[in-house]
This record gives sequence, structure tokens and C-alpha cells, in this order.
Amino acid sequence: MASTFAAVFEIVSFGAIIVLVVLGLGIIASMMGIFNFAQGEFVLLGAYVTYLAYAHGAPVWAGMVAAPFVVGAIGFVLEALIIRRFYAAPIVAMLGTYALGLIIRESVRGLIGGFYLTVPEPIGGSIDLGSVHISAWRFTIIVITLLVMGACYLLLARTSFGLRVRATLENPALARASGISTPLIYGATFAFGAALAGLAGALIVPVFSLFADLGIRFLIQGFVAVMVGGVGSFIGPVAGAGVIGTLSAALPWVMSPVVADVLVFVLAIAFIKFRPQGLIAGKGV
Amino acid sequence: MGGASEAVARVGEEPDVVTGESAPAARAPAGQASAGWKVLPIVEGLVLLIALVLPWVLQDYLTVFATRVVILALFALSFDLVWGYAGIMSFGQALFFGAAGYGVALMARDLNVTSILLILPAGTLIGLTAALLLGGFLLLGRYPSSVIFVSLGTLTGSYAADRLARGWYYLGGQNGIPSIPPLTLGNYEFEEGPVYYYMVLGILVVVYLLCRFLVRSQFGLALAGLRENEQRIAFFGYKAQHLKAIIFAVGGTIAGLAGSLYAFHEGFVWPNMLGVVFSTQVVLYVLFGGSGTLIGAVIGTVIIEGVSFWLSDNYRDVWPIILGVLLLLVIMFRPLGLISFVLGERERVGSFGKAPSKESGNAAP
Repeated sequence: MASTFAAVFEIVSFGAIIVLVVLGLGIIASMMGIFNFAQGEFVLLGAYVTYLAYAHGAPVWAGMVAAPFVVGAIGFVLEALIIRRFYAAPIVAMLGTYALGLIIRESVRGLIGGFYLTVPEPIGGSIDLGSVHISAWRFTIIVITLLVMGACYLLLARTSFGLRVRATLENPALARASGISTPLIYGATFAFGAALAGLAGALIVPVFSLFADLGIRFLIQGFVAVMVGGVGSFIGPVAGAGVIGTLSAALPWVMSPVVADVLVFVLAIAFIKFRPQGLIAGKGV
Repeated sequence: MGGASEAVARVGEEPDVVTGESAPAARAPAGQASAGWKVLPIVEGLVLLIALVLPWVLQDYLTVFATRVVILALFALSFDLVWGYAGIMSFGQALFFGAAGYGVALMARDLNVTSILLILPAGTLIGLTAALLLGGFLLLGRYPSSVIFVSLGTLTGSYAADRLARGWYYLGGQNGIPSIPPLTLGNYEFEEGPVYYYMVLGILVVVYLLCRFLVRSQFGLALAGLRENEQRIAFFGYKAQHLKAIIFAVGGTIAGLAGSLYAFHEGFVWPNMLGVVFSTQVVLYVLFGGSGTLIGAVIGTVIIEGVSFWLSDNYRDVWPIILGVLLLLVIMFRPLGLISFVLGERERVGSFGKAPSKESGNAAP
């Protein structure tokens, strides 16, 4: 019983991490039609900002609060300078964001060297439930993921900003005619997606430690999750991320990890092949 | 293909329908080539000439490096066929390269087969089979697949293969398969050096000429149409998905050939050969040199590998950043690659099939 509970906690906490990473990716893909190859590097930047704050003596949680804002600002600038040129051509956008990711990743690698740098958990220790001990920080990540998901949903579904974003997604020409500045909305959406990635990076760095290839690990899993969930809505990618995250954490408990690793990808691609619209079809929230 | 080839002929008579549009997402710069002068054969001739005299000028260890570049150029050619000509974004081209490399490495390790007469056909066959399987799955079917799905599907395939090779003890795990014996022909052993170089160069030239013939044939015209406007090609009565699967398989075959040559040249295979690293590397070569021109792929490989080799002694850390910046600049401002500085739009589009009496009609943009 105790070990089952521990396993479930492992699976849920890994699922939450994947959801957190995919959230930004999914919003950019759904709302803007761009598969952002630099998203993994935004995660890396978030982790790096947290590390910097910690290394300069600030408390870790301060770095975690700063990370989404810093990465969001970087995302806003990059959108205005570079990403904006790629909207018409999705494949070129992939290549362009890949190049961007390469620049960011290698710059960070140059700054930190080839090391694995550790950042302590701001909330350490473990929570004891009878005979089971679960990591307090992983539990916090689950809670924050739920809060962020709820906040994103409310932002997109209930605020006038969300309405503008959705209007721009559905019909850019009509949105412009209605007086919405679509370039500004795109910029803000991209910055928002980047900020979410930054937050994800900041939260997971105590678990995975900081190294240059931190982002890549999640990038392909994230893409697959977005496709499985369905591009075009907010809920779709989140659902996809839940499925992929849970599967990749759960399968290694019942079969050899190597087979499980590959099997998740094969299953996902086969699923997308036969259901191209994903788990949840349709646009909107 | 009887009906299809008839349709090809009809398309050929109405060149303005499919030719003359720009490459994927490209605003073509005006070229310097006039109607009478052909730049492409000159560039190709120059590259071949340089390649031929190279081993005489270079020291031995540089010849070994040059051999590696030639093999990678062959690999780049395979990606250029698929992306530059048919517009299929194969982000996982290394899957075929690496699968063939692993395949022939296993043949050498477990079956003691090193004869070039068996190894090269085997590698080619592995590439072809893998490409047929993956391409058939991704490209064929009741619903036409979206570009995004194909690119992410190939990327995922390559990534998954990488992970599999890393975790599978039989394939050597993280370390791959070391110390592959040299390639042999009878009692002769192909060691690294000038002989291996000329052998590989010969293969590259033959494959290049075959590709050149292929993309300038009526089949190539259909591919160009596919790249520019898939729907329109489908309306002409082509099986667009079949065309894509065929060229994807051809690309995989060439990548397999390159992979088996690479495995025996380096003497070992390791998981990166299958994975995202090599897959994106080949994309860089082709975009940099100029996709949609075969020679562009070769030139891109030579420049990137050459500069990387030259810089890696002193600027090892900075080089990937410079590469990223250069790539970004090329994508933003020179989508047709470096070759577009010398090669005009008219000549890049070129003509297809046998030259009719009014050749200019075919080549007109």
C-alpha cells in the first residue's frame, strides 16, 4: 500500500512537471501556430536565472519569482526582433527558433561550463504521511502547477486580454478590424508562453540541477504532448501533457525503462497518425 | 505509373503552372546569371576539381578529415533531395544514417563481414527499409499528413532511436560499438587516407550525378510542383503521397549508404549518429549552403565542417554560438542559402526533362 502510494506520487509529480513545461509550449503553438524549438532553452534560462540569484546570495525563492519575468521579457524582445518574421511559414519558424535555441543553449553552456550545478530546494524536507515520506518540494510543484493551470485558464477564458488573444487566434483580420493590435497580442502571447517556461525551469532546477542540456530533455516530449492533446485550444496540450507525463512516469514501473521510453513515443506518434486533431479537437479555450 | 507519366508530360507543356515560384518561404534575390551563361556547371566543376587535387595538397590527417566531410556531404545530399526538392521536412534524417551505421557495424562485429561488396549494399538496404517503414507510416494513409506532423514525427523517430541505442546493451549503450575493422575488397584493406578518400569521392560523384538526373527529370518537375503547391499537384491527378514516399525512400537510401561509409571510416558508431545531433547538423549544412540545389548541400557541408575544424582549436566554446547566429541570419535574410549569391533564380529553378526546341520556355520564371 505504502509503495503504491509512493509510486502514484512519483507519477503525479512527474506528470505535473511535464504539464508545467508544456503549458507555455502549448499556448504558443495553439494561439500562434508556432512550434517553438527554443522553448526548452527558455526553461533553461529560467533555471539559470534562479541559479544566478542563488549564487549571488539572494534567497532561492526570490530567483524563482524573478525568473518568469526575466524570461518573459527576453521572449518579448525576441518576438519583436526575430519570431515576428516567421509567422507565415511554420517550418521556417521551426528552423529559426531552433537556431535561436542553439544560440541561447551554447551561450549558457559557455557561462556555466560543462558542470551540473545544484540549487537547493526552497522548501526542503519531506512530508510524512504515516509510513510514507514524500518530498515537500515535489508536492509544492504539484500545487503550483495546479494553481498556474487554473490562473492560465481564467486569464484566457475570463479576462478581456484572453478574449483578445482568442479573437486574434480565430480571425486575425477581423480582430484587426475591431481595433485589436494583433502584433502586440502576438508579442504578449509569446512573452507569456516564454514566462511560463521560465517559471517551469525555475521550479524544476532543484530537482534536476542545472546543466546546459536541461531543456532539450523536455522539448521533444513537449512537442509530442502538444500534438497528442491537439493544437488549437488551451485544454488540449494540457491534457496531452498529462497523458504523456503520466505514461512516461508510469510505464517504467511495469516494464524495462528503455522499452518504456521508446514505447511512449511510438504510441504517441501512432495515436496522432490516426487522430490528427488530437485528444481535444477544436479551437478556443 | 503509366497514367502519371502522361500527366507529367502535360505539366511539362505548361511550365508556368508549377515552375518559377520561389522555394519554401523564400523571396528570391535577383541572380547575376544571364540566359547565355550557366553558373551551376562552373561551380560544380570547380568543386570537383578542388576535391580531386585535395589529397595532394593536404597532410595525411587532413585527408582523413576531408574524407569525413565528403561522406557528410553525401548525407547532406540525401536531406536536400527530401527537403529542398520535395518540401518534406525530415528532421530525423540521421535515423537512416545511424541505423545503417549500426547495422553494418553489427555485421562486422558479429558476422565478421567487412567486404565492401556486401557492406555497402547492406547499408543502402537498411536505409531504404527504414525510410520505407517510417515514410510509409508517416506519409501514406487515408488522410494526407500535415507538414508539422511529418517533421515532428521524423524528429521523434530519430530521438526515440537514439534513446533505444543508448539503453540497449547489445548495441553498446552510451559507448556505441567501438573498433570496427577496416573495409575490405578481397585481401585489400581500405585504410583511412587517400584511397578511402577517392573511393568515397567517386561514390559521391556517382550519387550526385544520379540525383542531378533525377531532379531534372519529369519526376523532378512533379516533385518541385509538390513543394510549391501540393494541392495543385493532386488536382493534376498525381498521387502526391506516393511521390513523397518515393523520394523519402530515395533520401533514406542515400543516407544509409553515407552511414555505412561513415561507420567504417570512423571505426566506431555511437548513439549521436542516430539522434537529434546529426539530424539537425544535416539541416544546418543544407540550409546554409542552399537547399534546392544539390551543389548547395555539398558546399554547405564543406564550409560548416571546414570552419568548425579550423575554429575548434582556439574557439571551441564560441563556435556553436557563431554557428547559431549565422544560421539565424541565413534563415532571415538569405533563405536560399549561400549559393544564391552566385546562382540566379532562373538557373536554380532550371528546366526539366529533355530539352525541347524552345528551351527558354521551360526555364522562364
